[in-house]
Amino acid sequence: MKTTLFLFLILCGSNYHAQRILLLHGTAHIGNGNVVESAAIGIVKDRIIFVKNSLTQTYKEQDWDTIINCNGQHFYPGLVSANNTLGLTEIDAVRATRDFDDVGDWNPHVRSLTAFNVESKVVETVRTNGVLLVQATPRGGWISGSSSIMKLSGWNWEDATVVAVDGIHLNWPSHKESYLKDKQQIYSFFEIAKSAAFDRREKLSDLRIEAMKACFTGTKRVYIHAQTIQQIIDIIDFASEMKLAYPVIVGGYDAYLVGAKLRDAHIPVMLSRVHSLPERDDEPTDLPYRLPSLLKAQGIQFCIQNEGDMQAMNTRNLPFQAGTTMAYGLSEEEALQAIALSVCQIMGIEKDYGTLEAGKKATMFVSKGPALEMKTNDLTTILVDGKFVSTRNFQEELYLKFRKKYQSDAGLK
Amino acid sequence: MSLRISFKFVIFIGEFLFSPPMKAQQVIFLILLFQFGPFFAQFGPENGLKQSAPSYILIQNATIMVKPGLTLENSDILIKEGKIITVGKNIKQDGAIVKDYTGKVLVPSFIDLYSGVGLEPMSVKNSSWRPQLESNKEGAYYWNEAVHPELNAATDFKLKANSTDHLQQAGFGFVLTHHMDGIVRGSAAFVSLGQNEAHKLLIAPKAAQVFSFSKGVSRQTYPSSQMGSIALLRQALYDLDYYTKNKANLPYSVSLNEWSSQQNLPTLFKTDDKWEILRANKIAEEFNTKFLFIGSGNEYAIANELKTKGINVVLPLTFPEAYDVNDPYLAREIPLSDLKHWESAPANAMLLRKAGVDIALTSYGLKTADQFWSALRKAISRGLTAEDAMASLTTIPSTWIGLADQVGTLESGKCASFSVYTADPFSNEAQLLESWNLGVAQHWKSAVAINILGTYSVQLPEATYELKVTGTNDKPQAKVSLISAKDTLSTKAVLQLREQDISLQFTSLVNQPQLIQLHAKAIKNGLILEGDGTDANGKWFHWSAIQQQTSAALAPKAIKSDTTTYGEVWYPNMAFGSSSKPNEQTVLFRDATVWTNEKEGIVKGADVLVVGGKIKQVSRKSISPSGARVINATGLHLTSGIIDEHSHIAISKGVNEGGQAISAEVSIADVVNPDDIDIYRQLAGGVTAAQLLHGSANPIGGQSALIKLKWGVSPEEMLIPNAPKFIKCALGENVKQANWGDFNTIRFPQTRMGVEQVFYDGFYRAKAYQKEWNAYRNGQIKTVPRVDLELEVLSEILRSERFITCHSYVQSEINMLMHVADSMGFRINTFTHILEGYKVADKMRLHGVAGSTFSDWWAYKFEVNDAIPYNAALMTEQGVVVCINSDDAEMGRRLNQEAAKTIKYGGLSEEQAWKLVTLNPAKALHLDDQMGSIKIGKAADLVLWTANPLSIEARASLTMIDGVIYFEEAQQAQLQQKIELERTRILSLMLTAKENGAATKTPQKKVKKHYHCDTLGEEATENENTH
Repeated sequence: MKTTLFLFLILCGSNYHAQRILLLHGTAHIGNGNVVESAAIGIVKDRIIFVKNSLTQTYKEQDWDTIINCNGQHFYPGLVSANNTLGLTEIDAVRATRDFDDVGDWNPHVRSLTAFNVESKVVETVRTNGVLLVQATPRGGWISGSSSIMKLSGWNWEDATVVAVDGIHLNWPSHKESYLKDKQQIYSFFEIAKSAAFDRREKLSDLRIEAMKACFTGTKRVYIHAQTIQQIIDIIDFASEMKLAYPVIVGGYDAYLVGAKLRDAHIPVMLSRVHSLPERDDEPTDLPYRLPSLLKAQGIQFCIQNEGDMQAMNTRNLPFQAGTTMAYGLSEEEALQAIALSVCQIMGIEKDYGTLEAGKKATMFVSKGPALEMKTNDLTTILVDGKFVSTRNFQEELYLKFRKKYQSDAGLK
Repeated sequence: MSLRISFKFVIFIGEFLFSPPMKAQQVIFLILLFQFGPFFAQFGPENGLKQSAPSYILIQNATIMVKPGLTLENSDILIKEGKIITVGKNIKQDGAIVKDYTGKVLVPSFIDLYSGVGLEPMSVKNSSWRPQLESNKEGAYYWNEAVHPELNAATDFKLKANSTDHLQQAGFGFVLTHHMDGIVRGSAAFVSLGQNEAHKLLIAPKAAQVFSFSKGVSRQTYPSSQMGSIALLRQALYDLDYYTKNKANLPYSVSLNEWSSQQNLPTLFKTDDKWEILRANKIAEEFNTKFLFIGSGNEYAIANELKTKGINVVLPLTFPEAYDVNDPYLAREIPLSDLKHWESAPANAMLLRKAGVDIALTSYGLKTADQFWSALRKAISRGLTAEDAMASLTTIPSTWIGLADQVGTLESGKCASFSVYTADPFSNEAQLLESWNLGVAQHWKSAVAINILGTYSVQLPEATYELKVTGTNDKPQAKVSLISAKDTLSTKAVLQLREQDISLQFTSLVNQPQLIQLHAKAIKNGLILEGDGTDANGKWFHWSAIQQQTSAALAPKAIKSDTTTYGEVWYPNMAFGSSSKPNEQTVLFRDATVWTNEKEGIVKGADVLVVGGKIKQVSRKSISPSGARVINATGLHLTSGIIDEHSHIAISKGVNEGGQAISAEVSIADVVNPDDIDIYRQLAGGVTAAQLLHGSANPIGGQSALIKLKWGVSPEEMLIPNAPKFIKCALGENVKQANWGDFNTIRFPQTRMGVEQVFYDGFYRAKAYQKEWNAYRNGQIKTVPRVDLELEVLSEILRSERFITCHSYVQSEINMLMHVADSMGFRINTFTHILEGYKVADKMRLHGVAGSTFSDWWAYKFEVNDAIPYNAALMTEQGVVVCINSDDAEMGRRLNQEAAKTIKYGGLSEEQAWKLVTLNPAKALHLDDQMGSIKIGKAADLVLWTANPLSIEARASLTMIDGVIYFEEAQQAQLQQKIELERTRILSLMLTAKENGAATKTPQKKVKKHYHCDTLGEEATENENTH
């Protein structure tokens, strides 16, 4: 008989690869706004084959290798952390462990996946709160490099890669005296890259320009990091002049002020960390908490990301950043969307990730309670592309180890 | 002796000369006469003939502004040897040089108390980039380069020719000059400006001493913060006292010896912000003295405090430039605080006078006379009375500096130093004609005011022209016309007026294109022009012109009082400030879910009554309101306020005094900054009290400030009265400077081994110090021991009168410090951060130390490798008093969420979790008798939440401290509108100012900076918080 106890034994062995998995009787937060109460989710190999109401669904036990009864628990698509150095850094203060900022102002060719540490201890602690994908992103310079979309589980980086290079990251100059000059530099670089991209002669340019070509001709995103209104309106012009295939604004603190323009230009926003202070003294104290609902109300496509102090470690709080917006205008399902489906849509991986729908990769988790709430985020099952991943991390092990020590000390007395 | 007389600048009065300047090297023997003696000669050989004694000078028929409130019309003033003999009507004196000053106004020379005139700027020997822990000044000087009382302005004073013209042109005749560098700046000299002998210029060689909080050019590591400067000054003053009393038995100190001779001098204190005045005034009170403050320009915001404390301030007239606000995108980057200050700064003097504060004015920061007068007129137009303006530049500074018997008014016996104006300069835009310094006149503008504006009939050999002069006498515009019966020909002419001389050029209208060049003297105030000219052939001819029509008499423009309505000063004077200081109210919370933190637990449907700032009643039954404001709390949760055990907000100029391994003498309580927007933001997150901690740059840091987050009050009012004393200590990577780069490898300690020894050394020294003082108190030794502020504080720790909150990470160092404390007989009160506390929780319980930790932070440095989010829960299980703190301005406003994480990590109950940010920090801070729970008699520090405060959906809907509501969510929309209205109002004033030609500056986006545990120096940073 396939029982939960049996399952627990399986889970203790890491990365057990179940072929056919059936999750039963949980509340499925599909991720597109819909909720299926008492859902059944069928998984074959690495994909979800159905999500249905388990009360109306009939199933044969022998059809499944593993059946998990998740009575009263919640099913979520794996959360996705955009624009993050997770996996590229281990200990912020130790230079030897920092692999996200290379020398040079123009580094589109520098890509993050080969530096991505799948065995990172930080990754382990992030995964156990439900974040299962990361856009590992370089920093620094005008063009920091190309980001890679990685699974937070795998034997090696090849194994963990979802998209090797999904986009380049451009740091838009800030509005100071050299603004026009700085902007001009960026225009010049992009003009060269653009002409090379449409040059039909067989000609190899340098690595930098080669790395840029797909931004004009392919699906490579141009993630433009900017916050202020002046930057944002300039970026809208820039994106249209350069005919960028997929421009994205990262940060976008002031985006709510030019919502109509952004919507008309179809430029999505990867919004700054929700848990941050207002940029200006005079602004409402809760403005950063309200930005997501302000963008939502204007019909701008947006997601929430976590760049900032200690961003790698803090990725485990991504669900709670989304959760906080629930007190400031987003519904629970909208909040979830902002850290799952919307991120995938902006990055272009929504066919495989972001919701609990048939045909998508089985990258998901089960939590005892609502996962965007600190008190109840408690994972019992994690699947990455249909593979079970441990819900324990080394921190919990340390906790149990010392707890046991105190218990046995007490026993000795 | 060579006679080197400058004709260029000195008007010689009659045939007599004052003694010409001597070359310094020729002065062999010198005695300074501080008072003007009865004779003028110096002790020294004369080269050539003996100089005549100067005669009397009699100025007649002048308007003499003797002193504020007393102006004598049509009066005379008699001067001899640089002094005023008499002032009055119809003065007669045989043999006097008599001058007719009809229509001129004499104003006593202004006095500037804050100046570095005649002194070279200080510099230091170039040292390396590596930290310089000790003084580089060789000799028997004080140990810290920023304390140099031995500097003597009088000995270094040297006036370069013309270097003070701008000051004289602004009306100044005297300055108090000193070396503008460091914390203790030495003696200041009171000097006269103008052309005169060096000996005579020095009116009082040691007239004052000057202090500040700014360390100046010193590159010594200590002090690196304002609280360090405060502590250094206090320690130096104690050292001075000790040295003065025990001179005979102590090694000679050039610095202290010189300083001890300055003790009776008035003390000036330079400040850079309004709060610095209150900080420095505390020092004055401690040493039973009074400082005279040099302000920074925003004192209006604390006018009442200044009045109450009887503080006098010398105000600068440097008003901020308007911003160029044409671009709304840029305009929104200007914080309201800047806008409001721009509007209020020119009213500073008026607002202080209105509050009854005595003020003087300084020209410091203004480069030209025009700048000075335009600023002064601005202040007058904003309501400073002409009389107050005059007093603040003359009688008030002279009185403050103790020289009122010599300077400040035009009365007999005083210095003959005054400025001559065309009119009363405090009421009119008068022009300065002359500056008289000690009886010597300096001429700036023509004494005879000629008005050539009008129409003249010009008779030339070739024709009679009509000349029309318009514009101003300074910049006249001229046109000549040839009028005949048939028509009128006109051409532009170039006309220049220099004193009485006029030159005029134009193209002949008779013989074009020949050039006519004329020169003339203006006679009878321009009524007649008479002189010579040349025609095209170079032939000279005589000509004259008679004024046909004069333009209206040029009365000086009166200074108008600006009648625009100005905005009020807010508390604090920035966004979210209020027009008045908030009041405590009687409030009834009706039908709330009350988290008592007491044995009653969480009570649903309860009423809580607040009276007189305290919790008066908590009841399940309905309480009758009796005049209370009733707040319907149905469905809402009422808790006691969040207490942040570890915070660095609301601090001025430096969170670390990292210049030394032990800096117990410094205190954050000295530098609390009520103008930090983060105070308001944290109120919006339900925080009501916090411990503002020193950083973690050194093993024994500084004393804490325990505050309530009251918004819009003074620093003193924020401090919790009679709060227990705390001090920050630190262990680990920060104190051994592990992550500070390869330059920082000089200061001991650099390892955890060394850290232990720093503690033992400090406490051993403190024990010896206590012993010495005890021996003195018991009469075993006679001399009073030296006061050592650092050891005083360490002794308090040894006596368990001060509690340690210690920044800590790994278990080895945690256990080490508990051993140190055990062996010294005291207890560590709190370990903060304490990320490996879970490994030693049993030892912590035994020692009786609290643990104040982050909920889930880690991975930011090597020593947090084993930090786990289960830490708080595990320590709690082991019986340790546990707090969750912020150490971060952002997280500080979400401590309710951070507490909730302990339910996820380690399974604490909701009540346990909530206590981590309320009752437990109150316990750890020894404040649980007055806060931390909802209990009758405790302070009404309450927060009303929209939901269970541990839920992700909770928002603080109302935050109250001591019964005063400081934050109310329902008011936010209205407040935001008030902010926007105030912004637009001032922005439109700025636009008008720009249109009217005011200089403007481009706004820059200001990134809010923060202090973290490891922030060094006085500036906050944008760096990541690495704790």
